[in-house]
Amino acid sequence: MISYFLVSPYLVHLILFVSFPVIFSVVLTFHKWNIISEMQYVGIDNYSRLFQDRLFWKSLVNTLTFLVVHIPLQIVIALALAYFLDQKIFCKGFFRATFFLPVVISGVVVTMIWKQLYGVDTGLINKLLVSIGLGKVEWIINKNIAMISIAIMATWKNVGLYVILFLVGLQSVPQRYYEAADVEGASRWQKFRYITLPAINPTIFMVTILSTIGGFNLFIEPYIMTGGGPLNSTLSAVLYIYKQAFEFYHMGYSASLGLIFAFIIMMVVVIQKYMIEKDE
Amino acid sequence: MACSGGNKDRDSVLEYWSSNNIGEITFSREIVEAWNLKHPESTLKFQPIPEGQSSEEIILAAVVGKTTPDIYSNMWQGIVEFYAKANVLVPLDTLAGFEDFVHDRCDSLTIREITSSDGHIYQFPWKINPFMTIYNKKFLAELNLDTLPNTYTEYLNAAEKFKKDLDGDGYVDQWFGNTSVRLVWYQRLFNFYTLYIAASDGLPLIKNNRAFFNNEYAIEAFRFLQEIYKQSYFSKEDQTAGQDPFLAGKIATKFTGPWEIEYLERYKPEGFDYDYFPIPVPEDHQGPVYTYCDPKSIVIFNTCTEPQIAFEFIKTMVDKKGDLLFLQTTKQLPRRKGLDTIKAYENFFNENQRLQAFVEQAKYIRGMDNCEVITEVLDIITQEYEACVLHDMKEPEKAIADAERAVNILLGSQK
Repeated sequence: MISYFLVSPYLVHLILFVSFPVIFSVVLTFHKWNIISEMQYVGIDNYSRLFQDRLFWKSLVNTLTFLVVHIPLQIVIALALAYFLDQKIFCKGFFRATFFLPVVISGVVVTMIWKQLYGVDTGLINKLLVSIGLGKVEWIINKNIAMISIAIMATWKNVGLYVILFLVGLQSVPQRYYEAADVEGASRWQKFRYITLPAINPTIFMVTILSTIGGFNLFIEPYIMTGGGPLNSTLSAVLYIYKQAFEFYHMGYSASLGLIFAFIIMMVVVIQKYMIEKDE
Repeated sequence: MACSGGNKDRDSVLEYWSSNNIGEITFSREIVEAWNLKHPESTLKFQPIPEGQSSEEIILAAVVGKTTPDIYSNMWQGIVEFYAKANVLVPLDTLAGFEDFVHDRCDSLTIREITSSDGHIYQFPWKINPFMTIYNKKFLAELNLDTLPNTYTEYLNAAEKFKKDLDGDGYVDQWFGNTSVRLVWYQRLFNFYTLYIAASDGLPLIKNNRAFFNNEYAIEAFRFLQEIYKQSYFSKEDQTAGQDPFLAGKIATKFTGPWEIEYLERYKPEGFDYDYFPIPVPEDHQGPVYTYCDPKSIVIFNTCTEPQIAFEFIKTMVDKKGDLLFLQTTKQLPRRKGLDTIKAYENFFNENQRLQAFVEQAKYIRGMDNCEVITEVLDIITQEYEACVLHDMKEPEKAIADAERAVNILLGSQK
């Protein structure tokens, strides 16, 4: 009896804040509902609309574009910084804190600051570019580079967290491997390629999965910085779901988008998990 | 307790929410205090709308949570139909004395505009902020124009003369004007829709549940704005953050309402002078220029069990005395016919000369169509606006036609 009592807080939380919303969302996908009117049963209309909705598929492609830029960029920079911080350098603690600082700053604040930095006419980055004789870049108003600009900002914001993870990975590589390699006359690159990289492989996979899940949740940055534009080029899947729900009150349709999107994320994570296990 | 919604005091019969604009809070507090003194048997509790990202979100949350106040002022006219269709508002025309009241206050055009598609009226027209073009007098005087740039061609010519690369870096940094480039539906009210109303003398966007805007006026408004961005007469950057570009002398004009006056009077640098002229129109436009007036209404939610008392209170809020107090405390215009002919307001307008242009403009205004999905209609227009006006990727004719097609599909799916 006491065991039921002990798990009851978690069970209440699970039922109220996880199970009920999930079940309600699934029910919602078969209804048309604008929050304040009666729900109207529409069968599978929301799903058939979804498969013809050009914007939803575009938002998925945009999210994937973001991931393709963001994940490699994040891993390479985080690994490079972690490798640098793992050396005997001056003010190591200061640099570690500095790289981690953006992680603890609110995403909204970071995005607002970068929006100013990216300004085409008054932004600091363009002012610097012009002062050294280069042209202005339409960072967030050109459809071809807006998502890349957001990926750069997101990388800057999150890289500190992955630096810490890589640092832990690097410090767990046994020193004796490097000593043996030194005896064999291995170069710095060879030691990195054949000792460090294989040894931190689990960390790389973990960072990839965390970045993927974080990337799929892309919302604050395009919501504040571009509103999904220009020409829907930064419209992420989550932003599109949000707009359908809270700008146009298409709760049923939004729930069906969310469900399909959750399924896609699950598939990606399952594939990644399979690859990790296969590798191990 | 007579009403079910809200957190009323135990002794209050009704609860009233105003906007959280400081002037409107002062006005509402005074009106409520006066009412409570006179009507101790049916007192009101007043509070500004709770803080949130937008008042629309708060009202929606209150409706969902059934915690709406009995009375809410500052409801955007365009959203009333959404709530009316959801049966959360009291049809005011069912209240005793409403017909006489509304005909006394409003002209037939306004009454037609606020009448819902089901024939009922769910809103009291309360206040307006008509849009006009504000301009920096010094800048326009330097251009030596024969007349103010009232037409599209005159405006574009003046813009060409005014735009400059001040720091010599090869890029324009002094623009003729500025309007929001944000891709949010309501921002189109302040540029495209205002220009459309001006060009068309107030034609609707939606008529008989079909898109009505595929006409020369919408196309020309798109073409005018497209030219503005193509020639860098306006910046494509969102200039809402940082220093006000109008006050900073970076732009010469902008489309704005009378709320700007108080702000400018408070913050303008020495020697800064400004005035207003109507929204630019096509060359062949004849007669007075109409504009969008950003109308806000007062509504009674159906959680109110004493709607007749609520109505009696609202009447004191918007009678001639109430409107004068509103003018004095907020410097916004009541939506009332013959505003410039009412003797009681003469002194106020004489003391506030800057408002005169808006009082004159208030004779030629238009609000928003009664359409349940107007926000989506404006979002569709925003999509085409972006492609055509901001990125020059479509001809205005095609952009407007595409918007018309998408809106008709949307309206068809609502039947």
